[in-house]
Amino acid sequence: MLNTGIREILLKVRDEARGSGIDARFLLHHENSHLMRIGNNSVSLNTSEELYRLDVVVREGTRQGSQTYLGMIDDIQVVRDVLKSAVDKARLAPPRDYEPLTDRVEENVDEEDQYDEALENLDPSFKEGAYGDIFARLGGKYNYSGSWSSGSTELYVITTAGDKEAYHKGTDQLFSVVLKHPGTGWELSGRQTGWRVSDFDADKTVTELERLLKVFEGADGRMVEPGTYTVIFGAAAVAEIVEMAVWTGLLGRGWEEKRGWTAGKNPGDRILGENVSLVDDPVNPDTFMFGFDYCGRRRRIFPLVGDGELINLMYDSATAAKYGKKPTGHDINSLSLVMDTGFGGEDPLKAVGTMGRVLFIPDLHYVNIPSESAGIFTGSSRFNAVLVEDGEMVSPIFSTRVTDSFVHILGGIVELSSKSESVNMSNTYGRRSPVAMSVPSYAVCAEVKITDSADSF
Amino acid sequence: MIDFDEVRKLVDENISRVISLGATYVDARFFLEDRSETLVMYDGNLEVNDTTLESGIGIRVLWDGAWGFAATSDLSGMGKCFDRAAGNARTAAGLVQTPVSLGRAEPVKGGYSTPVEIDPFTVSLRDKLEFLSGLDNDLKDDFILRRVVVANLMKRRIHFWNSEGSDVEKNLVHVFGRMMVMAVDSDGEAQRRSMGLYSTGNGGAGWEMMTNPELFSGHASRIKSELAQLIKAPRMEYGRRSVILLPGQGHLQVHETIGHPLELDRILGYELSYAGGSFVELDSFGKLQYGSEKLSVSAYGGIINSPGTFGFDDDGTPERDYLLIDKGLLVNALTSRAMINEANKRAGREVFKRSGGAARASAFYRAPIDRMTNVNIVPGTDGTLEDIIASTEDGVILDNPVSWSIGSNREHFHFGCEIAWEVRNGERTRVLRNPTYQGHTLEFYRSLSAVGDSSTWRVEQVDNCGKGEPNQIMQIGHGVPVVRFDDVITGERE
Repeated sequence: MLNTGIREILLKVRDEARGSGIDARFLLHHENSHLMRIGNNSVSLNTSEELYRLDVVVREGTRQGSQTYLGMIDDIQVVRDVLKSAVDKARLAPPRDYEPLTDRVEENVDEEDQYDEALENLDPSFKEGAYGDIFARLGGKYNYSGSWSSGSTELYVITTAGDKEAYHKGTDQLFSVVLKHPGTGWELSGRQTGWRVSDFDADKTVTELERLLKVFEGADGRMVEPGTYTVIFGAAAVAEIVEMAVWTGLLGRGWEEKRGWTAGKNPGDRILGENVSLVDDPVNPDTFMFGFDYCGRRRRIFPLVGDGELINLMYDSATAAKYGKKPTGHDINSLSLVMDTGFGGEDPLKAVGTMGRVLFIPDLHYVNIPSESAGIFTGSSRFNAVLVEDGEMVSPIFSTRVTDSFVHILGGIVELSSKSESVNMSNTYGRRSPVAMSVPSYAVCAEVKITDSADSF
Repeated sequence: MIDFDEVRKLVDENISRVISLGATYVDARFFLEDRSETLVMYDGNLEVNDTTLESGIGIRVLWDGAWGFAATSDLSGMGKCFDRAAGNARTAAGLVQTPVSLGRAEPVKGGYSTPVEIDPFTVSLRDKLEFLSGLDNDLKDDFILRRVVVANLMKRRIHFWNSEGSDVEKNLVHVFGRMMVMAVDSDGEAQRRSMGLYSTGNGGAGWEMMTNPELFSGHASRIKSELAQLIKAPRMEYGRRSVILLPGQGHLQVHETIGHPLELDRILGYELSYAGGSFVELDSFGKLQYGSEKLSVSAYGGIINSPGTFGFDDDGTPERDYLLIDKGLLVNALTSRAMINEANKRAGREVFKRSGGAARASAFYRAPIDRMTNVNIVPGTDGTLEDIIASTEDGVILDNPVSWSIGSNREHFHFGCEIAWEVRNGERTRVLRNPTYQGHTLEFYRSLSAVGDSSTWRVEQVDNCGKGEPNQIMQIGHGVPVVRFDDVITGERE
């Protein structure tokens, strides 16, 4: 439950605002974050932050203003000042040519389904010990890096348009270790995600890296000539491609403005392969579940693509107001994207056993979008990428660039894993906003365009 | 109300206390005020009208060769924050194979204030909105589908103290502006043309930059006209040719393939779990021919009005003006105190003589890491843009990034741009759309065949450089002239 003193201050100022005829939304974000960073086999940074952020958005007719404050919320006058600043800004703003929607918390929500007190209060020595253990088990000849972010997030939304309150408290963690060969320079990576301390399993990472080490220690790196290849994309690469495809094709704003690769398509039209179904599913426990958005709207299971056909587009509040649509609970950074699994076996190598020479690219680095309209993306292989022949990993491959389109890649999946994997997509650029996707553990795609390769890892 | 003298007293007491407990080094960065304002006009509607105010303190403690960091907005709990940073450092010290050493430094006392004629936070919101609305109006035209005008204003008042006795005060102001128009081409694809506020390197860095027609506000009709040509233009075809990068594109090329690979923490392997490493090695300095002899690159470069100019870094080191690449030869890196000590120790020689003043943190709640300051290509002797075009047989002129994707060790890259102009036999012939180019960093810079003179040089601003874990967004400047590279892969293979 939210700190009682802070809640009382916010409710009192909300009531004062309502009494003054102000249309306002209050969003409190509280994070308790810890991150341990590893570099050169050492803890290179061990950091803790506890931060409170308050966003107040005020509407006055078609005008709007907002103020964000990062600091202590222990003094009612501070919150009054934040509100006043937002009011002043709204009053000076020019009118918009559409009527913004009034934010209203739709239901009382008090969710802590993914909260683990032990993770929130995890002693950093646990992480230091786990890294030390992994280094010892994998051997001292490598250079180890990594990071382990963990923490808690509280969200609390109230508005002047009603008395309901929405509260979320959750924990999340993202663990990574990178093992680099000091001579040849190849890099292997192991990652784990979850919301409980117990989700972390050092054995799992060690086993996976030991399996890869046999290949990487046993063969030289290969340069991949530009051309088209059958590629196994691992879960992290699938998640990256799907997330980019969603942001550039399935947001209402981009569709209305004819910017994205779905411009001109309508619900019911085929946009991707028949074996691709996508949903924003905030009750899927493989994702970080948020039951309401920042405007207080309930988040429900929201199908986006079914059997390759466009079903729905996601509308944030402003876009919905501008284009006369209903908001869909997508004023939030933490989507719960889920891609349905397929019918392939769990082992990607068996899936390509009869396909001859295949590239296995588990992870894509630095993906960007040269053409949003054409849905073209580009990115390069990084960790754990290998050449596979007749279902056997034969050698690591050098940094290899993929430049292709969402329509081609997600329209040309020839084998899709029946096993799902949770992929943590969070970043910590702004406020703590945990994001995880659930995707098939691999997708085999035909005729993928490889456009460049380096002569090194 | 924050009592500054009380904060100062508490910081002094706590630094002494933590040192007396056994810490090797302690510093504190107190952000008295970290203010930003973002205004976004989108098709004439003020869609973002936001101000942010942050305040707090970040504490860094070095204990037995390991860093601990903690931050808080709650100044009443400052002692606890020092303790947490110290505790984090002591825990970290349990797993240290490469102990951090800052070396010895004399106390630094000083201050820096960004030179501004008009503090953007003294301009009324009404006046700012009137200016942005006027600019939005200038962007209107029948064929234009979307118009966006952005002002992003920042002001920071930072105090730095450390256990060596340093005491630095910084008052930083940054002003960023961008305008963009979008229309649909003959194939139904969205095309855009944009323009970011730049500077000439001298003069004030305040609101006066936004209203200066040369630097920003006078470019609306040009980008509209170029967009009108772009939507009727043919696509760029795949092939090898020269590329002439205007500063709007050249600055990002420098940023991604010179700036990032020369950050010493990347070179030493401290970014491997996120941003990546660098193809540059410690042995490369003084030996690696990074580019042709026409390539000289400076850090800082004495630029007065740029977001990469801040006086003192977050180690307290005064910002320096020095060469990274001298006539094609790699000679230095972007460095901080801890990294140069480690690099020299690892190399077994003095690769770096002193810190380059590049330790930067994006907020009070982030620890400093090695960042770019201003990373600049020194102007050359190949004349104006028109002179460079005249000496080009087969090429394209490229401006403004649409996409950028770089290999994890910055060894290769792929860029998409907004617009290209074809150059044939010394003349600009036609506009091409959907331009892209790719290459390998060293091969690319070694093909540098022309560097424009100072008339083509301008400082482009970057307000969104991401790096580090926890992630940090940093503001940076790049002074670049017009540059030409030969035999570059352009366009996409069918």
